[in-house]
Amino acid sequence: MNNRIRPIEKIYMAVIFLFMYAPIVTLIVLSFNRSKSRSKWGGFTMQWYLNLIHDHEVLNAMANTLIIALIATVVSTLIGTAASVAMTGMKRRMRSLIIGVTNIPMINADIVTGISLMLLFKVLHFDAGFVTVLIAHITFDIPFVMLSVLPRLKTISPSVYEAALDLGAEPFFAFRKTILPDLAPAIISGALMAFTMSIDDFIITYFTKGSGFDTLSTKIYSEVKRGIRPEIYALSAIIFVAVLILLFASDRMKARSARRTGVVKKGMNAKLKTYGAVAGIAVASILIIAMALVYGGVFSKNSDQVFVYNAGEYIDPEVIELFQEETGIEVVYDEFESNEIMYAKIASDGAAYDVLCPSDYMIAKLIDNDMLMKLDRSAIPNAYEYIGKQYYESATAFDPANEYAVPYCWGTVGILYNRNLVNGPVDSWDILWDPAYKGEILMQDSIRDAFMVALARRGYSINTTDPAEIDTATADLIAQAPLVQAYVIDQVRDKMIGNEAALGVIYSGEAIYTKRENADLEYVIPKEGSNVWIDAWVISREARNAENALKWIDFLCRPDIALMNFEYITYSTPNIAAQEMIEDEEIRNSAVAFPDEETLNRCDTYISLGEEGDRLYNEAWKKVKSAD
Amino acid sequence: MFRDPKKAGAVASPYFAWALIFILVPLAMILWYGLTDESGAMTLANIAAIAQPEHAKSLLLALELALISTLICFLLAYPLGMILAKNKMSSQGIITTIFILPMWMNFLLRTFSWMTLLENHGVINGILEFLHLPAMRVINTPGAIVIGMVYNFLPFMIMPIYNSLAKIDPNVINAARDLGANSVQTFLRVTLPLTVPGIISGVTMVFIPALTTFAISTMLGGSKILLIGNVIEQEFTLTYDWHMGSGLSIVLMIFIVVNMVISAVSEKDDE
Repeated sequence: MNNRIRPIEKIYMAVIFLFMYAPIVTLIVLSFNRSKSRSKWGGFTMQWYLNLIHDHEVLNAMANTLIIALIATVVSTLIGTAASVAMTGMKRRMRSLIIGVTNIPMINADIVTGISLMLLFKVLHFDAGFVTVLIAHITFDIPFVMLSVLPRLKTISPSVYEAALDLGAEPFFAFRKTILPDLAPAIISGALMAFTMSIDDFIITYFTKGSGFDTLSTKIYSEVKRGIRPEIYALSAIIFVAVLILLFASDRMKARSARRTGVVKKGMNAKLKTYGAVAGIAVASILIIAMALVYGGVFSKNSDQVFVYNAGEYIDPEVIELFQEETGIEVVYDEFESNEIMYAKIASDGAAYDVLCPSDYMIAKLIDNDMLMKLDRSAIPNAYEYIGKQYYESATAFDPANEYAVPYCWGTVGILYNRNLVNGPVDSWDILWDPAYKGEILMQDSIRDAFMVALARRGYSINTTDPAEIDTATADLIAQAPLVQAYVIDQVRDKMIGNEAALGVIYSGEAIYTKRENADLEYVIPKEGSNVWIDAWVISREARNAENALKWIDFLCRPDIALMNFEYITYSTPNIAAQEMIEDEEIRNSAVAFPDEETLNRCDTYISLGEEGDRLYNEAWKKVKSAD
Repeated sequence: MFRDPKKAGAVASPYFAWALIFILVPLAMILWYGLTDESGAMTLANIAAIAQPEHAKSLLLALELALISTLICFLLAYPLGMILAKNKMSSQGIITTIFILPMWMNFLLRTFSWMTLLENHGVINGILEFLHLPAMRVINTPGAIVIGMVYNFLPFMIMPIYNSLAKIDPNVINAARDLGANSVQTFLRVTLPLTVPGIISGVTMVFIPALTTFAISTMLGGSKILLIGNVIEQEFTLTYDWHMGSGLSIVLMIFIVVNMVISAVSEKDDE
């Protein structure tokens, strides 16, 4: 047969290579991009690589990933190999039963495996976290080990082993001396496969992880929604290049030994290579874990903690640092994308977080379902001294006796538009249904806000539970869907700054920030009216660190902290003392940050819709999302 | 290796315990949740919910995209497998570089990277613009999701196809040629039938994850396109209805079982 590769074959292989590696090259290029936005090249920088050394969150996630993968690999290799060897002594029917069960996690959808384990842990009242993720990984790793070891076992003749037994050897000794050497390559390749699958897993980890525990995958997923930190590109590039070098090195090693001996047995080859890879992975893992230990303090778990659950991009990271420095309390900080996602999390595990920052209507729902703790007023003096009385007054709409919530930020919902991409003034929600802007519109991926837009446009109450009105709004949103570029939340801001869209529904707090970054952007509250909202801090009824949660709330109400935070997130603060300290006159008098009476009169607050109302909206929302 | 079945059982016992607690019991939990309502009463409503238009639509779309992706993966992978097998390339090297190496770059990051490539003002459109070609609008469409699926699952198709192609004894091919078959006939009547088990295993390994993904559709579909995986995920993380989520998972499992039966039957034929 002709063994030369034809040009057409070369081209074909090159195309597949290009396809497989284009995204990887892109990521490596992005790791050197000075601009944080991934759609712009801002010049070459090594900044992200340098930042990485101090980025505890990313390093911790990496260390978690490696520790989980290492332990899961070792345990699953032991269990899987033992089971495979034992199977040789079993009846045929038993064997096929085991193989059937083993195949389940391999063939079953990851989402089903993940959910099934989540349900198990929930029912057993197992705290989700490191241990649950580890168990899940061992579970899906075992089949990879067994499927690598079993076929190899079939080819090994037991006669030598049996001879050893006949000569008086102990069974395990005989196994170690006769079977194991032949089996080793299969065990190692099974272990390597298990390790790789564990490193790359997202879905199963996503469903089995608890609060405050992240692997690299889940960390990345939470960041995808609002733009990934370039440090993660840098870390991935390092890992990728390290593995690449490792592979080349073991290749070279093999070539050199081939030159020296003249011939190389094929088995030797593979062995050298796998041993090299294993050694390399082990060394690299230990290095990264050590680095994380030194810089991140993965294991120095502070017993004094507070678990904070806040909306995305909703605090100055410096504030968290300061709180930790001043109080010595470690903040475990997680972000949610929408109130509904927060609710699902707290409803399934009330002790997952201590202190939460939901919006008005969601606080009402949490109170209704008895999921919040009454605040100890004496422990949060700042909250009553500096937060304006009028805001507590407004808060009685959802917290009638002001027992549960301390206002954090407030604002409106409106349209952010790009003057260069939109003709004429924008003053109505109607423009979001204008076919001229097909593919240029960003809608909020949050049920209440999306429906608010449609309801307000029709002049309906934004809190309606009238099925006919909801149907009309649903039909409107479905009609709008083909015009919508994407349903997003935190991404609206970056996409608008990057000129990726002409119009976006956004919260008022983002208006100042986006205008600073892109002067063509304007924020407007449409004439039909909109939503005015208050987000407030509340404490979960099952909070484990309620005292620290109170300290957290009180700290955020300190005027200097509230001011610092306001300047960073630019969401209107209800902290009167902080408002007075705002130096920038333009911002202090900004109609966007602090709208006038007339505008506010057009706006309505959300109220909790009750179970039946929630069901109506949920179903309607599914219809909208599956319409396109 | 074991003369005494009891000893064999003892060595395998950690695995038995593990499989029982962490594979079988959790599946029973899904059945339990899926077949009951909040009050604990038995119901089929959560499974029948698949017939609701929005659920049925997401399932049909997921089936459609998964089928298209599987077909594309097959069409891409088979020729590649043949090239690799024919040239007897040091399989180890090539296969690691194509499959294992990219996996070390996180799956989500690689998918995210496709966003950068496919966006309206993204890399590919930048290149098209430079070449004075019309820009394409792919991001946030089903097409983008298919690209993401093909990209992520292609290796799972290439591997089994390559393995079954490499196993074919060249003498069988030569015999066919000696008996007068032309290359097309040889391919259709000898090579292809001999690789059916590989194809089926590849199809399973691509189809199931493609059918059930939610991450790829979220990232490349702009949250505009709901696949059945998204619906199930949201029952757990957004609407907080575990019973409904479990019921819909049971529907997914039916597809998986059908797939398992098909591949089990084909394996038997192989033996």
